This record gives sequence, structure tokens and C-alpha cells, in this order.
Amino acid sequence: MNPKRILIVDDDPDQRLTLRLPLVNAGYAISEATSLEEGLNAVQKDKPDLIILDVMMDTMTSGFQFALTIHSNDPKSAYKEFHKTPIVMLTSIHSKTPMRFRPDEDYLPVEEFLEKPVEPEVLLETVRKHLAG
Amino acid sequence: MSSDTASRRTESLVEAEWIDSFGWLIRLRWVAGVGVLLITLTVKPVFNIQVPLQPLLITGAALLIYNLCFFLVERQLKRNLASPETYLRLGLWQVALDWLAMTLLIHFSGGIESPAIFFFIFHIVIASIFYPPRIAFYFSVLAVVLLSSIALLEYFSILPHQPAVGFLREPLYQNPFYVAGILLFFISTALIVAYLVIRISDRLRRREHEVVQLTENLQRASARLQALNEGARTVNSTLELSQVLNRLVKSTAEVMGVRACSIRLLDKERKRLETVATFGLSQAYLEKGPIDLESNPLAREVLDGKIVNVPDVRQTTLLQYPDWAVQEGISSMLSAPLVGKNKTLGILRLYSEEKDHFTADDETFLAAIAAQGSVAIENAMAYQAIEDLDANKSTFVRMVTHELRSPVSVTRSLLRTITAGYAGDVSPQQRDILERASRRTDYLQKLIDDLLDLAAGKMKETQQGDLEPVVLEEVVQRVVNRFTVPAQEKQLSLEYRKPTGEGNLLVLAIPEDLDRVFNNLVSNAVKYTLPHGSVTITLSIYQGEARVSVEDTGIGIPEGAMQHLFEEFYRAPNAKELDREGTGLGLTIVKDIVTRFGGQISVRSEPGQGTCFTVTFPIIKAPRMK
Repeated sequence: MNPKRILIVDDDPDQRLTLRLPLVNAGYAISEATSLEEGLNAVQKDKPDLIILDVMMDTMTSGFQFALTIHSNDPKSAYKEFHKTPIVMLTSIHSKTPMRFRPDEDYLPVEEFLEKPVEPEVLLETVRKHLAG
Repeated sequence: MSSDTASRRTESLVEAEWIDSFGWLIRLRWVAGVGVLLITLTVKPVFNIQVPLQPLLITGAALLIYNLCFFLVERQLKRNLASPETYLRLGLWQVALDWLAMTLLIHFSGGIESPAIFFFIFHIVIASIFYPPRIAFYFSVLAVVLLSSIALLEYFSILPHQPAVGFLREPLYQNPFYVAGILLFFISTALIVAYLVIRISDRLRRREHEVVQLTENLQRASARLQALNEGARTVNSTLELSQVLNRLVKSTAEVMGVRACSIRLLDKERKRLETVATFGLSQAYLEKGPIDLESNPLAREVLDGKIVNVPDVRQTTLLQYPDWAVQEGISSMLSAPLVGKNKTLGILRLYSEEKDHFTADDETFLAAIAAQGSVAIENAMAYQAIEDLDANKSTFVRMVTHELRSPVSVTRSLLRTITAGYAGDVSPQQRDILERASRRTDYLQKLIDDLLDLAAGKMKETQQGDLEPVVLEEVVQRVVNRFTVPAQEKQLSLEYRKPTGEGNLLVLAIPEDLDRVFNNLVSNAVKYTLPHGSVTITLSIYQGEARVSVEDTGIGIPEGAMQHLFEEFYRAPNAKELDREGTGLGLTIVKDIVTRFGGQISVRSEPGQGTCFTVTFPIIKAPRMK
């Protein structure tokens, strides 16, 4: 059986490393992207089973745009085969900011939030949970 | 108040006094009537003087009878709150009857020879006091005519002389010198007395008017002072600048009883005035344009410290936009400078729809308001400056910590991947070093998070709109659940007591922040309580407020530490000893949040025995208690 594929979209190489090491260790196939654009291309190319996404890349909202694009319900969407691919969003936005996020079907189509720094065990558990489902 | 109503009030007060003296005359007449009867009955036995008993007694009795009538009528009038005119008319009747009685008394006690003629002077005095000069004068002429008639009619024996037998050795009523002398002196006395009394009472009446007017003025001044005081209290009840300004214009317009009021403050370059608060002016008028000091002589004059009254906006060259004022329906203006401690702040201006509305009194009064207002405005400005500074500082702290957070967080994760063994094997010593480094970054992370919390809380005041109804009980329950395992590991008993009732206890808050409050308090309690101790969280309603207390049997807080407890970065010595890595920001954050939600926090502690933190919040909905 082929290992499950995970795409990490994050502009911070160190952060990507801390995510990649435990996941590789757990036997997942990892691909990486450093920007929104790269991420979207990588989705088409690598067809990941799960996406780990940094909420703040170029702009405050680019992570959300990415999630909205992937999870679009539009039948004509170029990403419609991925609209059920789980997305785990990494936030370093502290909960005190004016934007307070909660996973909400209408508002934000991501499956899970993880606040940085992410414990390796927590990361693995979360990934396992969403890939099983 | 218009001068019209004021003078009406003045009259009514004078009239009230008049009505009062009506009763006084009636009381005096009782004495007079009884006096007539007594004297009539006693002159014979005591002085052996014979007078026509019957007519005198009848006159005395008549006096008492008509007085009784007046007495009854007066009671009736009083009950019906009759008009002063009615009293005045009745008063004329009284005088007429009194003078008739007087004339009869004089006639029956010897005419020109009667010693009672002096009593006529009383009547003249009374009439002169109560009636306007002209009527009083007619009355005194009438007295002269009456007495002269008796004297002359008796002199010429047309009217039978009624002597008081035994009073005079020989009759004088037909002695021409005597009659002429008495008449001459009586007439001149009567007229002079009338003249003097009229003069005096006129003066008194004028004084009375003045006193009433003065009372009026004092009452108005007192009402204004009260209003000023109330206004000052409202203005000073807030430190928020825009609120201070808005309350000031509103209360000033109301106190002064005018259509509108505005405050204009000098801008930073001190070249223009900016309208910062208005009451009673239309939007169109406010948009008339900027007020340049160069083209506005009125503003310059006021800013020089003068109070300027513009009695008619059509007749002045002082205004920059006179046509706008006319269009707005404003006819007169009064402006006073707002002067702070070191500099002029701006202008406080009143607008009236009436020409010549403002008096010298108004000027003084507006100056007083402006002086008080300036203090309030300056205080609010100072407060705002401090707030801005605090917000700036917090923004800076927030930016810095935000920048710090990301690298620290990644460093921490990187270290964790090694210690967790994802990056190959490490020697035990390397692992130990990495774990120490990891602990330090953990601490740094927590410090940064706490600083962020604190800075975010201070960046802006929580707006009412940010808050939402939160079920207090659930938030506390979640926190308690979170600490169940750590408490068990430490062999602490963790208990949550809450009231049994239907429905939810709602408070206005931000759920995450409320969570942070109880998380910090319970975390502290668990941290600073030694094994086998207990932590009890109690939710209750006390004096209409929601109250949550977190009580432990921990190490307690030393007395000297109490006062510093909520200070940033402060840690009690015994807490430091037990846990080296606290940030000293937790309680500062807790207090900050509780205060923002309109709540209060208090603490009591016994070193070595335990500590109890109590927070209270206003309730927006209470459950129905069983």
C-alpha cells in the first residue's frame, strides 16, 4: 500500500522541517510548498490526502484564500476532486487578536486548527485522526 | 424667565400681603368696637361725664356687627381664593363704614368738643397705608369735610349739639375761635399726616417690590447655581473627552435656557478653531466652513480672554459667517474663552433666537461655566493623552512580542523534534542539554504569550459590542475539567460547587478571556498547593452579582506581597521558590480582563494556610433558583 501523501504549505523552512521530521518518521510521504501559488500547483501535481497550511503567509488572509479555493463547492472548480481533502491550519495568531477563529463550515472550510508551537505528538495524532476519517 | 412673569409674581406677593392686612384690620376693629362700648359705659360711673348712651352704644354695636359680617365674608373669600380686586372693593366698604361710625361717634360725644376727633387721624393713616396715594388723599379730604360739616352744622344749630356733659365747664362748639382753631389744626394735621404716610408707604411699597424682585433674582441665581452644579457633576462624571464636551454643551444650553451651545477648540497650529461639540445647531450650520482666526475678529477677541456679547448678529462686523447665523435663526450670541492652566483652549458659545438676549448676569455666569468646563476639558485631554500613550506602548509591545513569538515557537519545535528522537539518536548528555534549552524556550514562549495578552487587553478599551452573553457556569466547568488530571497527579482534591437552578447564569464577556481568568486562577491554586491539599471552586450569586471563588489550602501569600500581587512581573518570594518559571503576568492579566468585563477581583490569604481569590461579574440573566 502506498503511503498517504501530505502537503505542507508554509513559508518558514524551519517550521516545515519541524513538521516534516515527525511525519516522515511516521511513514507519510511529504511534499512541500512555500507559497500560496506553489501550494495550489502542488495540490494538482501531488494530489495530497491531507494538507497542512500556515495561516499567515504573504498576507493575513492568504491561508484562508487557499483553503476556500481548495474546498470550493463550485462544481466547475479546478480543485473539485480535493474539496473533501482535510486541511489542518497552523495558527500563530494569538487568540487575543480582533479576528477570533473557530472552525465553522460556512465561514472557514478547514478541519482543524493547531496553534504553534505544535507538539510532534499532537501533530501526529491530528493527522492520523483526519486521514482515518 | 421673562420679566413679564417676574413682575406679575412681584405683584402677587404684594397683594398677598394686602390680603393679609385685611384680616388684621378686622382684628383691630374688634378692639375698637369693644373699646367704644366699654368707654361709653364707664364714663358716667367713673368720670361722672354724661354722654348720649343709647346712640353711642348702638354705634358701637353696629361697629361690631358689621365687623362680624366682614369677618365671615373674609373667611369665605379666603376659602374661595378670591381675587385681590374683591378684597380691594371690600376694603373700600370697610373704610366707608368705619368713617361713618367715626363721624357718628364724634357727633354723639360732643362734636367739635369731642376728644375722639383725634381718632380720625388713625383712620387717615390706615387708609393712606392701604390705598394708592390718590384714593388716600380723597379719604383725608372726606375726613376733613365730615368733621367740618359736623362742626359747622352744630355751630349754626342745624344739627343738635350732643355734649358730653361734665367734660367741659362751658360749651365751646359755638365759640368761633375755638371751632376755627380746631378745624384749622385738624385739617392741616390730617393733610400733613396723609401726605407723610402716603410718602412713607409709597417708599415702603417700592422697597417691597425691590425685595420681591431681589428674591426673584436670588431664586433664579440659586436655580442656576444648582443647574451649574448638576452640570458640573455630569460633565465630571466621565473622563472621555468627547463625552465631556457633549455633556458640557448640552448642560450649558439648558442652564442658560437658550437654543444652542457650541465648543470650538484651537487646533495644534493655533490658527483655526475646530468645532468639537454642539447642541441645538443644524448640520448645515456646522458645515459652514472652517473658522480662521485671521478672518474672525470675534474669535480673536474671545481667545484674548474677553467675554463677547453680540446682541444682534445682523449688526456686527465681528463674525466670519453672519449670513449663516441669520439663516440658522440665530439673533444673538455670547462667547466666553475656555482657558486651561497654561494656554487658551478654545471658545464656549451660546446662541439665542432673541435679539439682545444676553445680560451682564449671563456673561458672568457663562464665564463661570467656561472656567469649570475648561478644567474638565483639560482633565479629559490629559487622560486621553495618557490613554493614547498607554495604547501606543501596548501596540509597540504587541508588535515586538509578535515578532519574537514566531522564531521562539519554531526554535521550540525544532528542539522538540530532536528530543522526541525524530532527528536520529542523541547522547544522554546532549539530550539533557537540549531539554534544558527546551525548558527555557518554553518559558520564553509563555512570557511572550502573557505579554501579548496584556498588551492586547490594553490596546483598546473593550467596547460593549465586543462582549457577548456567556454561560459562566460552563466556562468554569471547562476549566475545572482541564485541571482534573493535573490535580489527581498532585493528589489534590479538586471540587466545583455551583448553585442548583434552572436556566443559565449569563454574564457579558469574551469567552476566551473569561476562560483565561479561571484558567490562571485554578492553575495558580493547583501549582501553589502542596500534595494532599484541596482546591475548591465555588460559583454563587451574591448581592445580585455572579461570584466565583477559587480557594486553596496552599502556601498562601506573604503579607508584604499582597499589595504588589497584581503588578506586572511581580512574583511573591514563596511562589518563586516553589516554581522558578512563572512570568509574574498571570494575575495582572486576570485583573485586567475582570475589570474590562465590569467585574471585580479580591483576594484574602493566610500564609501557610491557603488563599482565596474571588471574582464578581454583573449578571445579565440569572437562573431561577430552586
